[in-house]
Amino acid sequence: MATTATAPQKKIVGGNFLIEETNPRDVFTPEDFNEQHQLIEQTAEEFSQQEILPNADRIEHKDFAFSRELLKKAADLGLTSVDIPEEYGGAEMDKVSSAIIADHIAKQGSFAVTFSAHVGIGTLPIVWFGTDAQKKKYLPLLASGEWVGAYALSESSSGSDAMNARAKAVLSPDGKHYVLNGEKMWITNAGFADLFVIFAKVDGEKFTAFLVERTFPGFSVGAEEHKLGIRGSSTCPLILNDCQVPVENVLGEIGKGATIAFNILNVGRFKLGAAAVGGARTCLANSIKWAKERKAFGKPIADFGMVREMLADIAIGIYAGESLVYRTVGMMDAATADIEKGSPDESKLIRKAIEEYAVECSIIKVWASEMFDKVVDNQVQIYGGYGFVEEYPAERAYRDSRVNRIFEGTNEINRLIITGWLLKRAMSGQLPLLPAIKKLMDEVMAGPSFAEEDERKLATQRKALENAKKIGLMVSGAASQKYMQQIADHQEVMGAIADIVIEVYAMDSVLARTLKLIESQGEAASATAVAITDVYFSEATSRVEAAAKKILADVAEGDMLRTQMTILRRLTKAEPVNVIAAREKVAARVLDAGKYAF
Amino acid sequence: MKILVCMKQVPQKDAPLKLNESATWVREDVGYEINEPDAYALEAALQLKEKNGGEVVAISAGPARAQTVLREALAKGADRAIHLEDDKFVTLDAFNIARAMAAAIKDEAFDLVLTGLQSDDYGYAQTGVLLAELLGWAHATIIMQVEAKDGGIRVKRELESGYFQHVEMPLPAVLTIQSGIGKLRYATLIGIKQAKNKPLRKVSYDEVAASLRPNQLTIEKLYVPKKTKQTEVIQGTPSEVAKKLVAKLRDELRVI
Amino acid sequence: MAETILVVVEQREGKLNRVSLETLVGAQALAKQNGWQVEAVLLGSAAQLDEPAKEIAAAAVAKVTKLESDALAAYTPDGFVAALKAFLAVSEPKLVLLPHTYQIRDFAPKLAASLGSVLVSDSTGARFENGKLLFTRQMFQGKFSADVSLAGDGPHFASFQAGSYRADSLEAGSAPVETVAAAVGEIRTKPEAPFQEAKAAVDLTQAEIIISVGRGIKEQKNIPLAQALADALGGEIAASRPICDAGWLPMERQVGSSGQTVSPKLYLALGISGAIQHIVGMKGSKHIIAINKDAEAPIFEVADVAVVGNLFDIVPALTEEVKKARG
Repeated sequence: MATTATAPQKKIVGGNFLIEETNPRDVFTPEDFNEQHQLIEQTAEEFSQQEILPNADRIEHKDFAFSRELLKKAADLGLTSVDIPEEYGGAEMDKVSSAIIADHIAKQGSFAVTFSAHVGIGTLPIVWFGTDAQKKKYLPLLASGEWVGAYALSESSSGSDAMNARAKAVLSPDGKHYVLNGEKMWITNAGFADLFVIFAKVDGEKFTAFLVERTFPGFSVGAEEHKLGIRGSSTCPLILNDCQVPVENVLGEIGKGATIAFNILNVGRFKLGAAAVGGARTCLANSIKWAKERKAFGKPIADFGMVREMLADIAIGIYAGESLVYRTVGMMDAATADIEKGSPDESKLIRKAIEEYAVECSIIKVWASEMFDKVVDNQVQIYGGYGFVEEYPAERAYRDSRVNRIFEGTNEINRLIITGWLLKRAMSGQLPLLPAIKKLMDEVMAGPSFAEEDERKLATQRKALENAKKIGLMVSGAASQKYMQQIADHQEVMGAIADIVIEVYAMDSVLARTLKLIESQGEAASATAVAITDVYFSEATSRVEAAAKKILADVAEGDMLRTQMTILRRLTKAEPVNVIAAREKVAARVLDAGKYAF
Repeated sequence: MKILVCMKQVPQKDAPLKLNESATWVREDVGYEINEPDAYALEAALQLKEKNGGEVVAISAGPARAQTVLREALAKGADRAIHLEDDKFVTLDAFNIARAMAAAIKDEAFDLVLTGLQSDDYGYAQTGVLLAELLGWAHATIIMQVEAKDGGIRVKRELESGYFQHVEMPLPAVLTIQSGIGKLRYATLIGIKQAKNKPLRKVSYDEVAASLRPNQLTIEKLYVPKKTKQTEVIQGTPSEVAKKLVAKLRDELRVI
Repeated sequence: MAETILVVVEQREGKLNRVSLETLVGAQALAKQNGWQVEAVLLGSAAQLDEPAKEIAAAAVAKVTKLESDALAAYTPDGFVAALKAFLAVSEPKLVLLPHTYQIRDFAPKLAASLGSVLVSDSTGARFENGKLLFTRQMFQGKFSADVSLAGDGPHFASFQAGSYRADSLEAGSAPVETVAAAVGEIRTKPEAPFQEAKAAVDLTQAEIIISVGRGIKEQKNIPLAQALADALGGEIAASRPICDAGWLPMERQVGSSGQTVSPKLYLALGISGAIQHIVGMKGSKHIIAINKDAEAPIFEVADVAVVGNLFDIVPALTEEVKKARG
């Protein structure tokens, strides 16, 4: 369905979606994939179907030699090195390609995690922060899959609060080594990785990243964890016992480890989102197949309305997830398009450009992991009793999905990041949040207006989105006024604001994609997309309203609360949409196609 | 060895096909992919090139969308491509498609033309043989292996009932390749990047129109075949049942 | 004079193949519809043609021609096309029908093209409708059927898929046999003798015939019963999950959602009830024969042929019968 349209060029400010109306033409969508993207998608998809899925059980039984072999095969195709420059043996392509790979490799939870730990957090720190010598030494090995990478930030007593790490580094008397002591925990790929990015505090103070080879003296790996899910991936503690790391293996600057950690997480987060979308697509294909084959009361369960509702919900989750992920990577590509290839600060500029979208990355991480959890839950339900036993894919997917809400920053931490980042940008004036809030308040005080009817396509949805943005601004303003600098201490409020911001970005992305689709393919061909948009908006509006009520009840009282509730009611007033008919349209489409097909 | 590979774009295998309004073809709003047997023809060509050197050129006739097939071929290692681009090519019969392709390559000197043994849509299994006739070259069909030998080639043909046969022939020649002759390669990311800059020559309908004749084969009507699956119950004593089953296996299924 | 339908009859080492007889039946049916006549032609060396020509001459055809040459003893597209082209120039049939075998598909398009005609390949039937000759053939791998017609004066060419007509309804008669020395020009290809290959390691997805056992086999010591049938049929043995879980057969032989998905020509299910997880792995088979003692077993829903009975009685009898048929 992809068109030959050129990708949007406009450079967007991070968080801008909350303030301004989005022009769909500035938004990258899966329909904008070019020929290269389509071919990459095909290679990744075929690789997954032919090499990963048939070996799912082998992977699940921790046959790590096999997982390494698979990584190597993927590397031979270039799938592991899309973010690595060509001069270091990489395939070096845009972030849309990077997301496409993360998306289509994610067919089997365990291997998806092995893969992304190697490609993302295991390799990227060197790409972005390594010296030329470090890049020359390690990147070709990682790009070719000869070596496997891992990333060690967490400790038993510090997970989300990574800066509280206890691992320590001291310079040896001869100045040639740092001597590392301490332990790291929940390290993906630890069981077989060759190179670790390990964070430790120099002299117990300066948080710093080190490149540690498995064979360095004093380095050892503990026993495998027994996990709820992704059991075929390796997760072990690391033990650093006078581990000797040459000084040239310090990654980045001494004391600048936090910058590395945060930057890497941004990429980890959008890739996690892409992987969740890919996992959901597999669930949908399995669920459709099952629902058509499984009979009850003499007919396939795919004929039953409540089963069809669940299938539709999975498809809607995928559509929205794609919209979010590819829009965001599209913005990254537009922002990095002018960076000169091979220039000395290329990596730094790319990293900076991506950092601009930190809040979008966090949104994707939270939204997609929670979407995926609902999808795997629906899948178990569709499979019924068969969904509860190991022999069928539903059970494993259900377990595998859960970790997504925990790693790459828990969803709670990411919610704090979202709201905190926005408020910080607002305070500093980088994002004109405060003027927007003021404008809204003036508008509200002026009373209801009778603006001209919006005659554009999907006018109702445009209005709902505009109102959701207003609600976000209103409650942010109210909460900031009430708690001022102490707002960070009111996590529940921060979280609820994040919930609204997340929904706004999701709605904005879904609507932009659907509008763009209508423009390029006409209304008839976009009917299913419109149905998806209807359902998504209906549900998201309710969630926004609920979050707003929760915040307002906490930050206002008496007349103030009553006034704000009046405004909220005005902003949420809408005719109910027939979501039953809309879901049915979506279900009919995916059942006809036998898979997600938009 | 200079090798031409004929590749067709067909609806995806699992695509939910629907008839067009006149019920003479399917609706176009489905996903497309490389005709699988042609993918094996490409694989065979790439392997021959790896062994003997030379050039692999992919050719396809079809609308703009068919270019995807050629890009994929280029990404997998073909050196250049020829696209006979027009919606009208879809409705040509096999003889005319062969005429169009023969016209498009008249100024080139290929040693070998490979096609898949048949297409997954029409399933005529003729284009390769027709090309051989038009070009005046030797040919062989349903080929499992190709090797260069004494300036010509030696191929392994699949025959029926598990038999095979080696055939030698001079070049130039046309071969139709059997599916499954080896594992199909993936397009690597580097290959995909390089494909963008490989030459792709477009040939318009008008350029080859003089070589075409009116279609002789017309699809009058396309329809969904009537479901005939009805379970036949076989009864009797064990030896009666055995006799009836054997008759069935021999006369209807032809597996004995 | 009535128009002629010429049937190109295929022989291998002096033996007729069944599809040729079926094609003759098709020709007879068409001829009857329009008052045309059927002739037959065979190609090969003199020694190869005597017996099959006699056999065809005993059918209701107007004439049988032996197109003889030692150069036709081994099939080559050049030889066969040259011989037939010259023969067609003389016999001038309106319609040429051929069995859709591997040999025919190798040369028939070339033959038709050499006369400026188009072949309708792999047809499953033909009929005259309002004076127009329509052929039926499958398209999109059987998802659709198509009625196709041929323009021009002919000769028209069509090949018939195996099983399109019933060989046993060939009408008997008595026809003169003529011998024509074939005109064979230059032959560019050098064919070697056909050969068979040793069986490779098991790949159920490629198997043409699969004999599959389920819980109904009861004990491991009964597996050889099924194996014997598989050997007689030249097929592979497979099983449903419980059998492989029990270790009675290796896992690689398991068919179903957690095993292989197969689509052989023949899937013979022995004592398999047909749980959904098994059905998904084999329902794409071309022909499914199920033997089960439970008449309500779900396997019968997907079966083409159902045998309700005791497999321990039926399978040995079937094995014997297959061996007899194979000679």
